Amino acid sequence: MRDYLLFYVNGKEYRVSGQDAFQPLSSFLRYKLDATGTKVVCEEGDCGACTILSGRIKDGELQYKPVNSCIQYLYQLDLAHIVTVEGLTPKGELNPVQQAMVNCHGAQCGYCTPGFIVAMCGLFDKQKKASECQIKDALIGNLCRCTGYDSIIKAGLAVEVDKVLSLKQLYPSQAILSQFAAHKKESVCIKAEGKTVFLPSSIKDAISFKAENKEAVIVSGGTDMCVNMNKRAYDPQTIISFCNIEGLSEIKIEKNILAVGSRITLSELEEFIKDRLPEFHHLLWLFGSPQIRHAGTLAGNIANASPIADTPPFLFVMEAQLELSGSSGTRTVPINQFYLGYKKLDLKADEIITRILIPLPEKQEIIRLYKVSKRKNLDISTNTAAIRATIKNGKTEKIAIAYGGVGPVVFRLPKTEAYLTGKELSLPNLVEAGEIAVSEITPISDVRGSKEFRNLLAKNILLKFFYDTDEAREAACHK
Amino acid sequence: MSQVGKDIPHDSAVGHVNGQSVYIDDMPPIKNELLVDFYYAPVSHAKIRKLDLSDAEKIPGVVGLYTYRDLDGENKFGPILKDEVLLVEEEIEFMGHPIVVIAAENRKAIESAKKAIKIDLEKLEPILTIDQAKERKMFIGPVRRIKKGDAEAALKKAEHVIEGRFCNAGQDHFYLESQAALVYPGEHKQLVIHSSTQNPTEVQEVVAHLLGLSMNQVVCITKRMGGGFGGKECQAGHPAAMAALVALKTGRAARIIFNKDQDMQVTGKRHPFQNDYKVGFDKDGRITALKADLFSDGGAANDLSTAVMARAMTHTDNAYYLENAEITGTICKTHFPPNTAFRGFGGPQGIAIIENIIEEIATYLGKDAIEIRKINLYGINERNVTPYGQRILENSLPEIFEKLEVSSDYKAKRKAVEKFNSQSKTHLKGLACTAVKFGISFNTKFLNQANALVNIYTDGTIQVSTGATEMGQGVNTNIKQLVAGEFDIDVDHVIVMATSTEKNNNTSATAASSATDLNGSAAVNACQKLKARLTDVAARHIETLEKDILASPTNIIFENNFVYDNRRPDTKVAFKTLVKKAYHERVSLGERGFYATQGIDFSWDTGPEGTAAGQPFLYFTTGAAVCEVTIDRFTGELKVDSADILMDVGAPINPGIAKGQITGAFIQGMGWVTTEELRYADDGLLVSHSPTTYKIPNIQDIPKVLNVNWIDKVNPVNVKGSKAVGEPPLVLGLAVWAAVKNALAYVSGGEIAKLHLPASNEEILTRLHQFLTAGSKKELAHKH
Ligand SMILES: Cc1cc2nc3c(=O)[nH]c(=O)nc-3n(C[C@H](O)[C@H](O)[C@H](O)COP(=O)(O)OP(=O)(O)OC[C@H]3O[C@@H](n4cnc5c(N)ncnc54)[C@H](O)[C@@H]3O)c2cc1C
Ligand code: FES
Ligand code: FES
Repeated sequence: MRDYLLFYVNGKEYRVSGQDAFQPLSSFLRYKLDATGTKVVCEEGDCGACTILSGRIKDGELQYKPVNSCIQYLYQLDLAHIVTVEGLTPKGELNPVQQAMVNCHGAQCGYCTPGFIVAMCGLFDKQKKASECQIKDALIGNLCRCTGYDSIIKAGLAVEVDKVLSLKQLYPSQAILSQFAAHKKESVCIKAEGKTVFLPSSIKDAISFKAENKEAVIVSGGTDMCVNMNKRAYDPQTIISFCNIEGLSEIKIEKNILAVGSRITLSELEEFIKDRLPEFHHLLWLFGSPQIRHAGTLAGNIANASPIADTPPFLFVMEAQLELSGSSGTRTVPINQFYLGYKKLDLKADEIITRILIPLPEKQEIIRLYKVSKRKNLDISTNTAAIRATIKNGKTEKIAIAYGGVGPVVFRLPKTEAYLTGKELSLPNLVEAGEIAVSEITPISDVRGSKEFRNLLAKNILLKFFYDTDEAREAACHK
Repeated sequence: MSQVGKDIPHDSAVGHVNGQSVYIDDMPPIKNELLVDFYYAPVSHAKIRKLDLSDAEKIPGVVGLYTYRDLDGENKFGPILKDEVLLVEEEIEFMGHPIVVIAAENRKAIESAKKAIKIDLEKLEPILTIDQAKERKMFIGPVRRIKKGDAEAALKKAEHVIEGRFCNAGQDHFYLESQAALVYPGEHKQLVIHSSTQNPTEVQEVVAHLLGLSMNQVVCITKRMGGGFGGKECQAGHPAAMAALVALKTGRAARIIFNKDQDMQVTGKRHPFQNDYKVGFDKDGRITALKADLFSDGGAANDLSTAVMARAMTHTDNAYYLENAEITGTICKTHFPPNTAFRGFGGPQGIAIIENIIEEIATYLGKDAIEIRKINLYGINERNVTPYGQRILENSLPEIFEKLEVSSDYKAKRKAVEKFNSQSKTHLKGLACTAVKFGISFNTKFLNQANALVNIYTDGTIQVSTGATEMGQGVNTNIKQLVAGEFDIDVDHVIVMATSTEKNNNTSATAASSATDLNGSAAVNACQKLKARLTDVAARHIETLEKDILASPTNIIFENNFVYDNRRPDTKVAFKTLVKKAYHERVSLGERGFYATQGIDFSWDTGPEGTAAGQPFLYFTTGAAVCEVTIDRFTGELKVDSADILMDVGAPINPGIAKGQITGAFIQGMGWVTTEELRYADDGLLVSHSPTTYKIPNIQDIPKVLNVNWIDKVNPVNVKGSKAVGEPPLVLGLAVWAAVKNALAYVSGGEIAKLHLPASNEEILTRLHQFLTAGSKKELAHKH
């Protein structure tokens, strides 16, 4: 058992043990390494000023992804190569991204700038050319209060792409990879001042540790957990960090069922389903930011059990199953029965989610997903909804509706579904259905919207669905 | 080769992109440095019965706990009225008000100390709305009045009258670098303060005042800010004073860095306003009279509220001529953190009133609002006097409207919007063109002064220091270009130094968009004096080189890093050589420049019936914007399809920087009027106190089409023909709001659609719902 973390920062190896392992990367960079280029503004993943590139082994090489260093604790970064803004100019000269930002007035006060530079370098490390749309998508996770973004986009378009050196060129990976390989097999356990963090290398190790330490909490992407630690004085004493676990990172389609390993990140999922589930793909585009999606997982979104989580309504209408593994074996639970109450799950103390199994829809099925939030991107939902319908001969043969943000958990609307089944999906019927829907929900007023607003949305989403599916319903009628 | 007018990068751009630019929290810690934080009021209004620090004191790592009793100076301060206390004495007046300053060795000790402080409170009823304050007559300062003509009589005679109430909410600055200060104690109670402030002189003054020091014992240095937007004009003083208190008491360096949540919860915001108006107009929409009573939410203390109100009142006319006007301004005292300066400084709030009114007149008359705007625009030779009596010179508004209407394709857009709205069942579009006429100069006359220090070194390089502070807006780059331009040397030979009260005393805040105007003019003044001396040296030197001409300073030309006599253009002396020569001749190579704006004056009681009058502004920065928006009828979600901005910003010193200011300010204004919603709990707690819940514009929110341009014009009264540009374009964000209001007019059936500001998706949907319930029923009946 290894008792230290091993990772690299800008090509340099670090071994960290004891209390130091229990801090966000941004603190380690700024206060231990004096690498103050990485800025901290919000400490909750919502501004991107702290963005760094995290390089992890995938398909035998290091793949670098932008993540928020304020919500990446060091114990999530074992066997990663971190590249910060300081590490993007090893020879001291500006790289083409930086030069373009200088030339185009991409920086005013400069506080957001290192984050933008890192995110943009991440983009150009992945692809040689980027359209305006791709540049904007890559920078959703970075807020700037000064520029109004226009100059930053122009800078992105002005990058002399031929001169960009890839991170592979900047940091030859051979030595790093062999060091990682040598350290990979062992699980890691670090104890300090009454706290323990365990990094299992296998599912088996994870389950047996969890069986022995019932209070242990899992940190996967950490995009929920670390925000709680930073902001809500959440201080778990025993942590299982999933960063090295093997066997949970597979995503595949088998017998028309999409099986998502619980370590699959939201961005990996997004990539995989791009053509297969366009509606869900679009929803994932609205999910947090690239930084959040590179770290966060679908399993985490489910297990965090927030009523305003974005993916559950879709999973509810798809009747997804959760594969849970514990000391007494593996079982599956329909997601529709997984939430027992506000933040209460049908998940035993020694169980972990290993896979999410999503039956794929038939071609003629209509699926629409809605996320209403104050700001379109990088915002938490006010209301969410998923509607799945099969229409035959102008009548609704089957319909499933799930709402979020209007009660303590995400749930289906059985009465509304029953009302619509067998009926035409006409405007008057949907108006009536809206009234029924409102009787099935219990929204509250909070920072994201009033109860009245949420009730109104609950009705309107059905009307929106009517107009959105005009063509699809037409097509269904003709079949 | 003139350096002025060139598009060169921001002087800190390289450091910004490679992470080397230093902000307060990046400065390396020194030995023994202490962390400073504070315990603050947990309620909005209460009396402190008992404060018990005994447990907190015992926490390991806690070095000191200080209350108002530990301030050796006076615990009452404020930039205009001395009505604010730094540390609560008996009565808590807002949630977040500091009570105990905590100094500790580490963060953990601070957090434990906060928990261990015991407080016994007698809760009092808080005032949390403007109406509550009005009811209880809780006001700050006197009611101010501007009067022109006889609004009352004109309203009686008016063909049409609209009456209403218009409310705008506040806005958080959301600078990315939160409030921060680092204080080094020196000998004899001297302090050196590094502060993220827009106003080093005020920090110096406030610290001295609170700690019982004299101003010459305190130095305040500002290298840069990670954004300010007005939020660090006054309110940077509080953290600096707390850290200074610790440094003074302990003799150790002390650093205070607010976290984002704390920053948002304890600092003041853009003032919310509630305005009652009555407007009279004729059948063409020409305004014949306006009565507007402005009420701002000042928060618990004045801070800059009186000045903000002055600007709101002097901007209620905006770009439109008012024959008869009566405008009053009242500041309400509430139990919120004192509201403060925010880019635009009341201007946007005042302007919003009349832009709203114009949209309403348009709906009322069934006309396109742009026609109402054009008919009311200030004239060039007539209809050009503001309600406070200032004549508008060099009025470019008519030209801007004429050009923008064409360049933005307004007419075609209007047609397309009409067509779209008649067809779409799911979305609604709106289109609007709003204007800005923003007065440049501080309303308070004495603030319109600046000094600058220019030092030339013997290698021909230059350091410039002024009172201007750099917060990203590029003032240092502008000044660098101005100085290089005076001598016509490379900009790289000039460095603008950190702002320090040691070099520039009694400076005004970097505010009112005027930092370049004032400080740049002072720097130019210093350069001109230096240049005169160097010209003499050059003339004499060239005389020695060219035997057949006599020294003639008037023939000396500075050009492209060289100096020559225009009678012998081939005999060039390098600027560097000239400087060396001057030094050897014992000619002073340092100079202090000074600038005070001439011809401005304003008073609150010299107008008719003791109302306000004067020439508060040296000139106006003007512009207009055309915005088109699309609204989702079912969710209220808003998309800005296009924004076409055209301004008169004179001849910019650096066009790249000017463009960045316009774009950035516009988007910030767009945020104010759309998604930036401050939500409070019933007890006054701000619940949207971080980016998770407070939504400034994201990169995906900017208009799909964004055109930013300015007309070709030179401003005759300001440095190098330029105009101030920092704040005015923020006001143009109102075009987005007005477009939403316009969209609502398409479904209101002729009724005037009320709309609060911000027009969040909830606000929009709620308004839409009022009109659509009736409409959709009709539509249903029609369909089936
Ligand atoms: C800035 C920001 C933006 C966000 N935007 C969105 C958004 O748009 N929509 C949205 O829905 N959410 C959003 N989130 C929330 C969060 O990103 C998601 O919920 C994410 O899916 C969590 O995944 P994770 O791997 O990071 O979970 P973690 O934080 O690691 O864990 C979350 C919970 O899941 C449990 N858990 C994780 N993996 C397993 C497992 N395999 N078995 C059992 N339990 C497990 C953990 O113990 C914990 O209770 C946002 C968060 C941030 C910080
Ligand atoms: S500091 Fe804001 S995302 Fe990390
Ligand atoms: S440059 Fe200031 S926040 Fe982006």
